[in-house]
Amino acid sequence: MKKAIVLALSCLVAGTAARAEETLALYNWGDYINPAVLTKFTEETGIKVTLDTYSANEEMLAKIQAGATGYDIVFPSVWMQDIMVKLDLLEQTNINADPAFANIDPAFLRSKEDPQSSYCLPYAWGTVGIFYNENVTGPIAGWDDFFAIPQKTGQKITLLDDMREVLGMGLIMTGHSVNSTDPAELKEAADYVTAHKAEVTAFTYESMPLLLSGDVAAAHYFVGGNMFFVDHPEIKYIIPKEGATMYQENICVLKDAPHKEAAQKFLQFYLRPEIAALNVSQQFNGTPNRPANDLTPDFIKSNPNINVPAETLARLQIFADLGKALKLYDRAWNAIRTAQ
Amino acid sequence: MTHRDRLHLWGLLGPVTLFLGVFFLIPLLTIALYSILTPGLYGGVEWAFYHWNYGRIFGWADGIDEVFEPVYLQILARSLGLALTTVLLCLAICYPVAFWVAWLPQRWRMLFLFLIALPFFASLIVRLYAWLLILKPSGLLNTVLLATGLISEPLDLLYTPSAVVLGMVYIFLPFMFLPLFAAIDTLDAALIEASADLGAKPWQTFLKVIFPMTLPGVVAGSVIVFIPAVGNFIVPDILGGAKGLMTGNLIEQQFLSSRNWPFGSALAMVVMAVVLGALTIFATRAKKAGGAA
Repeated sequence: MKKAIVLALSCLVAGTAARAEETLALYNWGDYINPAVLTKFTEETGIKVTLDTYSANEEMLAKIQAGATGYDIVFPSVWMQDIMVKLDLLEQTNINADPAFANIDPAFLRSKEDPQSSYCLPYAWGTVGIFYNENVTGPIAGWDDFFAIPQKTGQKITLLDDMREVLGMGLIMTGHSVNSTDPAELKEAADYVTAHKAEVTAFTYESMPLLLSGDVAAAHYFVGGNMFFVDHPEIKYIIPKEGATMYQENICVLKDAPHKEAAQKFLQFYLRPEIAALNVSQQFNGTPNRPANDLTPDFIKSNPNINVPAETLARLQIFADLGKALKLYDRAWNAIRTAQ
Repeated sequence: MTHRDRLHLWGLLGPVTLFLGVFFLIPLLTIALYSILTPGLYGGVEWAFYHWNYGRIFGWADGIDEVFEPVYLQILARSLGLALTTVLLCLAICYPVAFWVAWLPQRWRMLFLFLIALPFFASLIVRLYAWLLILKPSGLLNTVLLATGLISEPLDLLYTPSAVVLGMVYIFLPFMFLPLFAAIDTLDAALIEASADLGAKPWQTFLKVIFPMTLPGVVAGSVIVFIPAVGNFIVPDILGGAKGLMTGNLIEQQFLSSRNWPFGSALAMVVMAVVLGALTIFATRAKKAGGAA
């Protein structure tokens, strides 16, 4: 449900040259693909595309595990892809044998279970940082400045309603790995967040409209939030100087996909730099497709908080699956949320 | 009962029984079963008996893999408190309004009942977001209050415990109103007159005649509001800013980000047991009170 409670939105992209009833069923995060990409795919191939959305990896996994979903393609985060490979839910596509696969930066072959990308195609990546209204807060550089905003200006700030992201921020601020499984380190991280809870007006995913209307001054959010502020130069995005988390999702074909051929066509389609660039131009996130980076619009290419330089990349951390240690996070998160 | 009658009865009851069996009993038994199984590493369950799910809640745990924390019972207590507050406020608002509506001319009554049911036509989520827009600092309510000069600075309404109570009362009002109205609408005016004729003061008439006769409506409304209110997690999330953890949120979290379905199931069973217990006590008391009157 994460928490947009995105109702499964079925959007049929009608094909102009709709040949018979060839279809492709995508199951993706909400707002995580440019609709123009799908329209173009249908125009070129005649394959009709349906899109359902989820708002948490676990939500998607639970549905796929229940079986017979009718979905062909899912977009798991890398750590979830690892789980899905282990659970034998994904189809080996050998997309890495495609000549165009040379477009993909090998740095994005992050999956431990699929190190050569013989299953999934690296799709997109992004950072989780801070959006702020510069007219209200003045320039800010990191988490310390962020938490100082309420004191300094009397304005409000929000954090994401997300266990891993919030604890990840706490772990970064206390100098630990965002994948720590040491109970003492997690306690430090939880204490850090709890100590700042009074400054935080809400844990929410719905912060972007509130930032726009001036009801909050700054918010913890995904880089993709930039899509809401194209006409609002006063609202800025930064990757905090103390460090931040990043995410990467890959395009995977399900083992029980009913339209495997169409799915393979979609993977090949997405290998094309101009398609990946078309997606970035609306999504504001990064692409593993190297030549695509040169085709993105200037305002994206020139923004170091979106098109991230190597020195910034060095202070980003990505989530790994925690296995049993997830319980420690669950307890720490409960402690944060029940703290008065 | 003849053979034919029995067949007839089965024909009538069969579909309902099947429906309840499939959509009510089986899910319930699944939850009960899951609550005593081992959590699967990636969600789901492993088929081995595991009592620590309850141990974590009630005080026995190995302290290594599973840790007992009183926080779960505290969260449950807080949810029960919120549900009870919701019931009492709904009752306080609906009781007089139901009388007022019952005394309206027929055609106005229909309009009013239609208005009460109107919110059901829009999604709950949409209606709660509407409240978010009303309550936020730059929202409708603050704009109006500022414009009329009643306040000089926007009030902090959104993401407060009061916003949660307001949202809860708002979504559950119709559930309280309709059973209350049904009870009040069928009150026999002759009995009230008789009570006055026999020398009862208005407050005596209310306490000894009117209130006992509307009690079934009060009980029905309270129960229908209380049960879903205990498990509601959308209102605390959207209007409370997810700052206070409620039982519903805790259970949802176990099935999603924490991937611990058995613990979520155990929590759900505990909530169900507590609610059932509370309702049984409530119902027996109400029956006694009703019988004595």
